[in-house]
Amino acid sequence: MNPVVSTYIVQGIYGITYGMILFLIASGLNIIFGMMGILNMAHAAFLMLAGYFCYQVVQITGNFWMGLIFAPILVAVLGVLMEQLFLRRVLGSHVGELILTMGIANVIVAGIKKIWGTESLPLQMPDLLSGMVSIAGMGYPVYRLFVIGLALAVMLFMMLLLYRTRLGKVVRAAVSDREMVNALGININLVSMLVFGVGTWMAGLAGVVIAPILTVFPGLADQVGMDAFIVVVTGGFGSLQGAFIVSIIFGLLSSYGVQFVSQFAPVLIVVFMAIVLVFRPNGLFGAKER
Amino acid sequence: MMNKTTRIILWMIGILVLVLIPKLFGVYYTNMVVTFAILSVFALSLNMLLGYTGLLSFGHAMFFGFGGYGTALALKHIGGLGLLPAIGIGVLSAVVLALILCPLVVRVSGTAFAMLHLAFGQLMYVLALKMYRVTGGEDGIANFPVPGILTESLKNSPENFYYMAMIILCLCAWMMWFFTKTPFGQIQVGMRDNANRIDYLGYKVPQSKAVIYTLSAMFAGVAGSIYGLFLNLVSADGSLGIVMSFVPIVSVMIGGVGSFFGPILGVAVFKMVDELILRYTESTELVMGIILIVVMMFMPMGFMGLINLLKKRIKAWFVARAEMEKVS
Amino acid sequence: MNILETRDLHHNFGPLKVLFGVDLQVEQGERHAVIGPNGAGKTTLFNTITGTYVPTSGKVLFKGKDITGYPPHKLARIGIGRSFQITSTFTNLMAFQNIRLAILSKDGIRFNLFRRVDRMKRVTEETEEMLRRINLYEDRDTPVSALSYGKSRALEISMALATDPEMVLLDEFSAGMSKEETHDAVALIRKLTEGKTVVIIEHDMDVVFNLADRITVLHYGKILATGKPEDIRNNQDVKDAYLGDLEV
Repeated sequence: MNPVVSTYIVQGIYGITYGMILFLIASGLNIIFGMMGILNMAHAAFLMLAGYFCYQVVQITGNFWMGLIFAPILVAVLGVLMEQLFLRRVLGSHVGELILTMGIANVIVAGIKKIWGTESLPLQMPDLLSGMVSIAGMGYPVYRLFVIGLALAVMLFMMLLLYRTRLGKVVRAAVSDREMVNALGININLVSMLVFGVGTWMAGLAGVVIAPILTVFPGLADQVGMDAFIVVVTGGFGSLQGAFIVSIIFGLLSSYGVQFVSQFAPVLIVVFMAIVLVFRPNGLFGAKER
Repeated sequence: MMNKTTRIILWMIGILVLVLIPKLFGVYYTNMVVTFAILSVFALSLNMLLGYTGLLSFGHAMFFGFGGYGTALALKHIGGLGLLPAIGIGVLSAVVLALILCPLVVRVSGTAFAMLHLAFGQLMYVLALKMYRVTGGEDGIANFPVPGILTESLKNSPENFYYMAMIILCLCAWMMWFFTKTPFGQIQVGMRDNANRIDYLGYKVPQSKAVIYTLSAMFAGVAGSIYGLFLNLVSADGSLGIVMSFVPIVSVMIGGVGSFFGPILGVAVFKMVDELILRYTESTELVMGIILIVVMMFMPMGFMGLINLLKKRIKAWFVARAEMEKVS
Repeated sequence: MNILETRDLHHNFGPLKVLFGVDLQVEQGERHAVIGPNGAGKTTLFNTITGTYVPTSGKVLFKGKDITGYPPHKLARIGIGRSFQITSTFTNLMAFQNIRLAILSKDGIRFNLFRRVDRMKRVTEETEEMLRRINLYEDRDTPVSALSYGKSRALEISMALATDPEMVLLDEFSAGMSKEETHDAVALIRKLTEGKTVVIIEHDMDVVFNLADRITVLHYGKILATGKPEDIRNNQDVKDAYLGDLEV
């Protein structure tokens, strides 16, 4: 095959991989916002924490898969604890909750620096996933394909959860009208807790799969968090398909952007967001003001 | 209620203290007060939106940065430009930016308003990073001349700089306070409470928002301009980044969103913690994080709320005591 | 002369038709009540007149001038005020500040950034005068959120009147009030609307027949009858559709 075309394809895969990771993070952020109206500024910090947990698990057991399974669950538990112990008790406004989650993000970052230092820590991907696979005469990086597959699986799982279960029905109802669901006698606190857990778990998963690509370092949250935040904003708060489409667009914009207009790749993304918001202040698929 | 004489005396004492600070405390603390005043004006300008109009902006640093860049660029490229015109150019650029954004942003509120500002803020930030021929990219613009008003240059005379900065900043703070007392300030508060009713009473809501928005941008521009002059440096991360947008939000929330002086108190807490942390521990994030958590959980109205509560308690205690004495 | 007139007013919410060609006519200086069973479209009619909704079709005329689709602030400036069924005041502000906002609007003081409002003697006096008239002077420094229901309702109504409109529309001012509170409110409205045109939506038939000079009966988005209270009382259509149930 033409080498130029194959470069484009590989570049595309890189873009889609990043897009899928963004989608994992953004959809977690999204369901939490949709459910509780909380802009969780600690989301990216949880993601980073999962990366470090995974690093630690790999250090101890030497097994990436153990990290992949346990690190996200661990941060999900922490996320639920945050919701139960802190967020639920904040009096006053949503801005107050936002500042609180910012405080928690700060504490997490401080803890990470204390325990693991500020160095960038490498995370080996397992042998099974390293290297290239050859399809139709072209080499593809296995790990990226794995990430894409995993993200798709999670997405499918989310769809099933949201559209095929009673819990999903309640969550979707609560997103559109919280009071109503409360009035129906559903234990909304329990549902909130579950949503927070699942949302944080997704962030954790993203943190683990991104770790072998970017390594783990204390600035990871800022770097990835801002991108995910932009995705949610552009796609529309509370909208999963918005998050999906925009994630992929962003992934591709950033990978092809780097190739063609390397200097201005970040500008492309932000310009895209600004243009979308000018015409649709609530994002591409955002509902009207809640 | 204070009577007029005590109030005048208190004002005199306050002004005297401000005048004497550079004489008494040396360069380090003098500069600290300048930073404090700059951030206070910045936080007050944000509070015009957040506290008095109920609009949360994630991109207020835009105006701060435009003030800084405007002034720095003017001083760098226009030889012999005076200080006040340079500040004026900075403020004007912030105001022009606000006027351009006005038609877009005044029609939305809530989350959409916040996000639109995040978008524009990030756009300005990335542009400042990338257009390095104009803005100096990551390094920013440094070492531009800082002319004095009466003296030659303010670069090596922190005392003169202090007086210049404090006069302008205090004037700004006073103006913002005054605005809250005017009829327009009342309309602003009404809009925060119930924009719909304000409309039915015969006030134009979008236009009123636009005026507040532009004023807020103007004061942020003043703060940013003086900040740039103070550091003799304007950079994307230092003046325009998302971190700079959150500084005033956090200050306002810590200090107390419901009152005029809350933000100043918030900045004071912010600076004090900064100062103490640097001396005793390296973990700024930890301490700052814990403060944010504790304040939001236990003091929803911030430190100002706490003070008001204490005032009420003490008053109630005195009243109770007086009654007790009457009975006995 | 008709001060307010609607011509063939229609309004839909998506597929749901609420108003089917309403021709309301309100005479200058009268107190006009709009009554009708729940879901008849009374509040929608108010909302299309006062700029909350733009009617799907039809016209609204005020003193012969087409005001269809005017936004609320524009209506307020040409002399139309309204109060809300669900109290809509500035709950974090004091009673005094609430009324003062209305007075400021009446005096055309809007973008003044150069004088302290508490030093504006005339505004303060007018506000205090209004507070006295509505018996809220003692509560002037109470935040509205701390006022009793009756008092906050009184404030709601008097804010609509404090801008000194020529015509005022009151949406169920007695909603949720006790008998006694309603009685006071009726007296208050009589006092404050001297010489003004008043349009009310009301459920309480005692209030309607006590206060209104003329009555319009709305039924499923159409006007069933308009006339003097005694005519309405004796109108067979109205009896069949509505009043019969209430045994008036």
